[in-house]
Formats: sequence, C-alpha cells, structure tokens
Amino acid sequence: MDFSDRFSIPPHDDPMLYASIVAIVLTSIAIVVGVTYFKKWGYLWNNWLTTVDHKRIGIMYIISALLMLFRGGADAVMMRLQTAVPDNTFLDAQHYNEVFTTHGVVMIFFMAMAFIIGMMNFVVPLQIGARDVAFPRLNALSFWLYFTGAMLLNLSFVVGGSPDAGWTNYYPMAGPEFSQHVGVNYYNWALQISGIGTLMTGINFIATIIKMRAPGMKLMKMPIFIWAALITNLMIVLAFPVLTIALLMGTLDRQFLTNFFTTSDGGMDMMWANLFWVWGHPEVYILIIPAFGIYSTIIAAFSERNLYGYTSMVASILAISALSFLVWVHHFFTMGQGALTNSIFSITTMLIAVPTGIKIFNWLLTMWKGKIRFATPMLYSIAFIPLFTIGGSTGVMLGMASADYQYHNTLFLVAHFHNVIIPGVVFAMIAGLIFYWPKMFGFMLNERIGKWAFWNITIGFCLAFFPMYFTGLNGQARRMYTYSEATGFSTLSMISFIGTLLLAVGFVFLVYNIFYSYRHAPRNIGGDPWNARTLEWATHSPVPEYNFAISPTVHSEEAFWDYKENDYELFKGKVEDIHMPNNSGWSIIFAGFFFAFGFFFIFHVWVGVIIAFLGIIGCLIYRSFEKDDGHHIHKEEIEATEKELGGAK
Amino acid sequence: MKLDPKNLPLEYSTETNKLNILGFWIFLSAEIMLFATLFTTYFVYVDRGVGSGPAGAEIFELPPVLIETFLLLTSSFTIGLAVHAMRINRVKAMIWFMVVTLLLGAGFLSVEVYEFIHYYHIGATLQTSGFTAALLTTLGTHGAHVTMGLFWGIMIIIQILRDGLNARTANKSFIFSLYWHFLDVMWIFIFSFIYLKGMM
Amino acid sequence: MKELFPLKQVNGYIFSLLLTVIALSVYFFDMSLAMGLTILVVTAFIQAGVQLVVFMHAGESEDRAGIYIHTIFGVVVAILTILGSLLAMIWGYMY
Repeated sequence: MDFSDRFSIPPHDDPMLYASIVAIVLTSIAIVVGVTYFKKWGYLWNNWLTTVDHKRIGIMYIISALLMLFRGGADAVMMRLQTAVPDNTFLDAQHYNEVFTTHGVVMIFFMAMAFIIGMMNFVVPLQIGARDVAFPRLNALSFWLYFTGAMLLNLSFVVGGSPDAGWTNYYPMAGPEFSQHVGVNYYNWALQISGIGTLMTGINFIATIIKMRAPGMKLMKMPIFIWAALITNLMIVLAFPVLTIALLMGTLDRQFLTNFFTTSDGGMDMMWANLFWVWGHPEVYILIIPAFGIYSTIIAAFSERNLYGYTSMVASILAISALSFLVWVHHFFTMGQGALTNSIFSITTMLIAVPTGIKIFNWLLTMWKGKIRFATPMLYSIAFIPLFTIGGSTGVMLGMASADYQYHNTLFLVAHFHNVIIPGVVFAMIAGLIFYWPKMFGFMLNERIGKWAFWNITIGFCLAFFPMYFTGLNGQARRMYTYSEATGFSTLSMISFIGTLLLAVGFVFLVYNIFYSYRHAPRNIGGDPWNARTLEWATHSPVPEYNFAISPTVHSEEAFWDYKENDYELFKGKVEDIHMPNNSGWSIIFAGFFFAFGFFFIFHVWVGVIIAFLGIIGCLIYRSFEKDDGHHIHKEEIEATEKELGGAK
Repeated sequence: MKLDPKNLPLEYSTETNKLNILGFWIFLSAEIMLFATLFTTYFVYVDRGVGSGPAGAEIFELPPVLIETFLLLTSSFTIGLAVHAMRINRVKAMIWFMVVTLLLGAGFLSVEVYEFIHYYHIGATLQTSGFTAALLTTLGTHGAHVTMGLFWGIMIIIQILRDGLNARTANKSFIFSLYWHFLDVMWIFIFSFIYLKGMM
Repeated sequence: MKELFPLKQVNGYIFSLLLTVIALSVYFFDMSLAMGLTILVVTAFIQAGVQLVVFMHAGESEDRAGIYIHTIFGVVVAILTILGSLLAMIWGYMY
C-alpha cells in the first residue's frame, strides 16, 4: 500500500463526513479570525500557551477534557441512534466500528484522564499549600503532549480513517491484515505520545507531594484527595510504561511487519490482550481513585463534618492500588488459561470489593448526623453512592470466572463499566468542576440550572444503561452494529436511546450554565463560598499567581476548618519575595515536533520522521543548555495584590 | 551512609536539585516497569513464540556477550569514580572518568551492533518470529538507552568544561550517573536471564 | 591518585565481577534448570543491590524512605507482572 492510498481525505465517501469536515474547517477559520480580530494572540500566547502555572495548565486540561467529552458524546449518541431500532442503516458496519472505537479511546484517554489530571493540577498544589508543582516546565510539556495526542487521534477522522478495532485494539483485528487503513497507526501514536505526557505528570506529582507539602503536613495529615493523588500517580508511573512497550510492539507489527501479535511464526495475538490489561486494569483505578478523593472532600464539606474513618480511607486506597496490579486477567477469562489461573485472578478481583466497600460505608457514616446541604456537587456525590454500588456489584458478578463465560462481551459488561465510570468518574469530575469553579474563575455556577443538569444526567444515565443489563443477559453482544426484530431487543434499545438523549440534554444544561453564570453571577464571592474545610479555600478566588502570600503552617488534615472554627493560626510569618518559574514556549514547540513525528510515522513518510526527530533532539539539547532560574515576585507587589483582593489572608 | 545535612555535596545543594534527584529516582521505577514488560514478553515468547525460527541456544554466542558485560560493568565502575571525584572536587579527574565511561559505552554499542549484524546474517531478524522480535526489541531498547546516554553524557561534559562544577552541572552529572548505573543493572538481568539462561 | 579510587567502589567492582563469574558457572557446568535459575536469580539480584547501594547511593539523602519504598514497590509489581503473565500465557494455558 503506498502513500496515496493511505492519505485519503475523507477516508470514506459519506455525506456526513463531508459535512463534518466542512464544519471543522469553518470552526478553525472562525477561531483564527476571531482571535486575530480581537487582537488576542499575544494574550493567548503569553498567558496560556506558554504558561507553567499549575492552575492554568489544570484549566486547559479541563477545557480540553470538556471538548473531548462532547466529541465522545457525539459518538455515543450516534451509536445509540444506530441501535435504537432493529436493522437500522444509519451507520454501516465499518463506520460503526470506527465510532465505538473512537468513543472509547476519546472518553478514556482524552476525556477522563485529562479531567482527573486537570483536577489534580488545579487542586494538589493549593491543597498542600505549595506555590506550584515540582517541575512546572515538565508539567506544561505533559499537557502539550497530551494535547498533541488528542489532536492526532481526532485528525484520523478527517485524514486516512479512524481506528476501528475497538478501544482495546485487540489483535489480530488490529493487525495490518485485518485493519488495512492507517486508523490503528493513529491509535498507536496518539496514545504513545499522550502516554509519555501522562507518565511525566505521574513523576511530577509524586515529587510534588513528597517534597512540597506545607510545614506540619505529615503524611497522615494530608487531605484525603492528596492521598488519592499520590497513589494515583504511583500507579501511573508503574502502569504506563507497560502501555508504552505494548504500543511499540503494535507499531512494529503494523509498520515493520514483525510477529508479536500475529497468528503465525510464533506470534501470539493474546499477548496484546495480556499487556493491554496489565496496563488497563490499574488504569481503571487511576481514574476512580482521584474521583473517590473528590467525593470524600465534597461529602465532608457539605455534611459539615470531618471525614469518617480517615485512616481506613487511606488504608483502603493503598489496598486498592496494590490489588489493582493483580487482577488484569479477569478481562479475558475466556482465553483458555485454565481453571487454576482463572481462580487466582477471580479471587483477587473479588477482594477489591472489600476496600471499596469500606469506602462506601465511610461516606455514608460521614453523612450520618451531618448537616447535609444539598448543593449540586453534593447531589452528584449522593447519587454516586447507590449507582456506584450497583456498578460494583455487577463487577463482582463479572469477576466470577465461571459466570463470566455468560457475560463476556455482552452488553451486560458494557452496562457494568459505564455504571462504574459515569457515576464514578464523570459525576466526580462534574461535581469537582462545580465545586472548584469559584476557585478557578471567581464566580459561582447557577444552582438552579445546575440541578436541571444533574437530574437530566442522572435519570438519563439510568435509562441509557440499565436496559443494557437485561439485553446483555439475554445475549446481546457488544459492538454489533445492528440486530433483527426477532431478538426482542428493540424496546429496551429504544429506552436506552432516549436515556442517551437525556444525558445529552443534561450536558447542554451544563454548558448553558457556564454561559449564563458568566453573565449573571455576582463576583466578590470571597475565598470560601462553600464553607469548605481544606487549604485551597484559605486563599483568594480566583487564586493569585503565587497561590499563598504567606505559606500556611498546618497541624491537621483540615487546617482551614480549624482556622475558621478553632482560632488556629494558619499563616505564621510575614510576606516575603516569592520565587516563581518563568513561562516558556519550549513545551509547545517540543510537542509540535512530536505531532509532526507521529503524523509522518503514521503515514510512513520517513523523511518527515527524521526531520521531526532531529527537531525533538534539538529541543532536548536546547533544554539541556538553557539556564532558567525563574524570577521573583517582590514583596511590595504581593502586598499590593493582596490589598486589592481584600486583605492578606 | 547518610549525608550530613549541614554539609551537603553540590548536587544536593538547592531545593531544585533535591527535587530533580528524587524525580529521577521515580522515573527509574518507571524504567523498571518498562524493562519488566520487555522481559515478560521475552519470557513468554522464548517458550511459545519460536515458531519456525531459530531458538535462543542456536544463535547466542558467549564471547561478544562477555565482552559487552565486561565493558558495561567497568563503565558503571568508572562513572561511580567520576561522582566520587566530583565530590572531592577533582574536576579534571571527574571529566576523565566520564570520558572513559562514554568510551566504554561506545565500545559496548559497537559490540552490540556486531551482534545484531551477526543475527541478521544467520537469519534471525526482527521479522523472523515472535521470539526474535521480542529478543531484538529488548536488546534494542537497552541499546537505545545506552545511545541516548552517550549523547547526554557528551552534553554534560561540554557544560562542565564551559561552566565548571556548580550546583547545576553537579546535579546533572549525578543524575546521569544514576541513569548509567541503572542501564548496567538492566544489562545484568539481560545477561543472566536472556543469554545465560538461553545457553544453559 | 589513591584518593580517586575509594576502597568501597573498588570492592564493589571486584565483587560484581566475581558475581558475573559465578553466574557463568551455569554455562560451563551441567546442572538442572532449577539449580541454574536459582544461581542466576541470586547473583543477578545481589548485583542489582550492590549497584543500588554502593554505586547509586540510594540511601544517602533525606528522601531515602521515599526512594526505597517507590523502587521496591516498582520491583515487586514488575516481578508480579512477569509471574502473572507467565501464569496466564504459559503455565496455566491449555494448548
């Protein structure tokens, strides 16, 4: 296959594709023209694109995650529309394959991962009383590598064709024989590049949390979200290299015709599944543990109580992280590895329910006798508990190896993992976003519209996914693009489609809320609009560049609460010059070379690969020789800012 | 063997330096997993992935492997001496030790290139079988790390020559030594569990 | 000149060469697979430990607890990954 065959715009002859290409081009032109017209290029470059500020990087992560949520959500609506009625012809089989593949990839890698990393970026340094992360420049690079990966994957839609072998990308389906266009190459390189960014984030945050906590914040005095972040990043650092190697082997197979995952010459297609899930299972916990951290924070804040069972919470996070590396085989119980192996992994899988159960009880007991305020973040947290418990219980069902032969690759499984990921991760991220919105932007989101969004999303979720448990048990396989009338799946599938629409309406409310509140919400909300408990609320909203004028001193995991209620002195000492890192365009340029490298590699354009590679090396050499010692914000400047924002805190 | 906190060596002298060293240790544990994945693959394919291609015992040769092992072990020793020289402030000796280290590394790489050519000639290429692909990818990843280390080391030597020994350059040199020792550790595992076990 | 070659490092080097020679015995002597593997595992891990402690100074800084815990956790997960994969793909697999 030569270059012109691979490089096809658009990949299929389909009016919808043409329409979306036109839409993409028009939107891009509109953005460029708009930024030029309002003369915002300088602002954009100086304040956002070159920033090393953890808060801005966090916000950029979250904005990208929201964009990807809509991209992946559109895929979801298309899938449910296609399966809403039997024998539908809205999408053909190939197109359906591409849609469910991109839906999964976008949602896991570019929505959920970006959302949790964005949340950690914004919250972690504030909550430990630090001025930034350990390696601010590396943090910017992480973001831009992630963004590069996301753009690369989305480009596949327009140039060459999207990946079509499922988000799990199993071989031999993903191999060069059965997936001939460049889609899976895109998959390999987009994930490879954003995975490098994620690994760097992991290293960065572990170093930050180990070394940069406020004085007095011992390990067992860290807020629970910090524990969650620490363990999450530990898992990132140990899990992502596995994906790196697996993707490398996949690339070699597809682009250099090796025999890692083929079915001849000693190749083993199931080895991909094995390696993918060695990474993939910890990945699931990488997503859920920060979500647990956010729920713990929110539930404590809105129950006006300290978190029940702090020590057991920490212990169960540790237990989950250790077990998460010991269960991966439960994703392919049906491979044929025999009863002994399946039993071992079945037991480790079911063990995970124990620490998770402990956490559920801790949240319930935190609310017990608390003064509960039903603000939107709290509503999501309360809805999370029963919904996640259902998702967890079906997970235990799937974890029983012999029963799994019945559930495997049916919609029962699809219902299960959406049932843990949507109420688990997505609800947490929305709740966290609403909770931290005033800290990010200095105004609150409207509660009434927020509740509309909440009810649409929650009811929509239940309608969309609960029917799949039933059709799944009745034998409806996942990833089938259509079914016949005789199967009897049509009523439940239609309900599921209606639920999807409700979910979509909920997300529209969410966005409308941002727009509405931006115009109508009052500013001057003070540093602590929710009457919350942890350090990030001790500074102004929005947070000044240097976070805290004076570094806080801490004596418990809820130092700010003690400061408010028990006359604890949080800010000892006086304002001094603050050392801050410099902004730099290096990260975005470096990521640009990575984009070129990935793109040319996908299309086997070796000259381009070599040039981009030299660019990458050049950037590394430049960085090695660069001397950048940051700058100081002077005392007078800080005092002036503090005065303007309403007095030193 | 703890450092005296009142009299820290240059490479630990600033907060940034301490963070860099800790960050690099965390990175090394990621590297452990990276190589563990390669070993996983290799161990599986050595058993089930040979196909119609050659098995390990048919293609491995002891002499080049022994030379490689000796060169890399010695280079790990010399980079350790370089760090020691740095700590007693003997800049010239330190640079010489680093040069020797890089030369030994280059020697290692040339033997490895010879080895790869040999495999190619006897028909054990990347495409031959699952086993050869796993073998060559594992060795290749290690070799790529050594190559990367060579260029990195050269950059550091240039900077020491230009700026002398200061908190920055000392920090970089120390981190480079961690990297180089780590590569030696990985080679020990490759030597033991790929070559020696294969030839047993 | 002598101060450039501290005894600790020279000993470490000689010791690691010695371990290599011991490991080589599996090539030169005829022994069972279990015996050979035991020798290899023992010598390789001791060598790794020598590098970590003598050459890489893992325990010298104030962060030694973090470094040791993280590295050991990494090694444990690495070993479990290898053994678990072998269990799934080789030992338990029904051809």
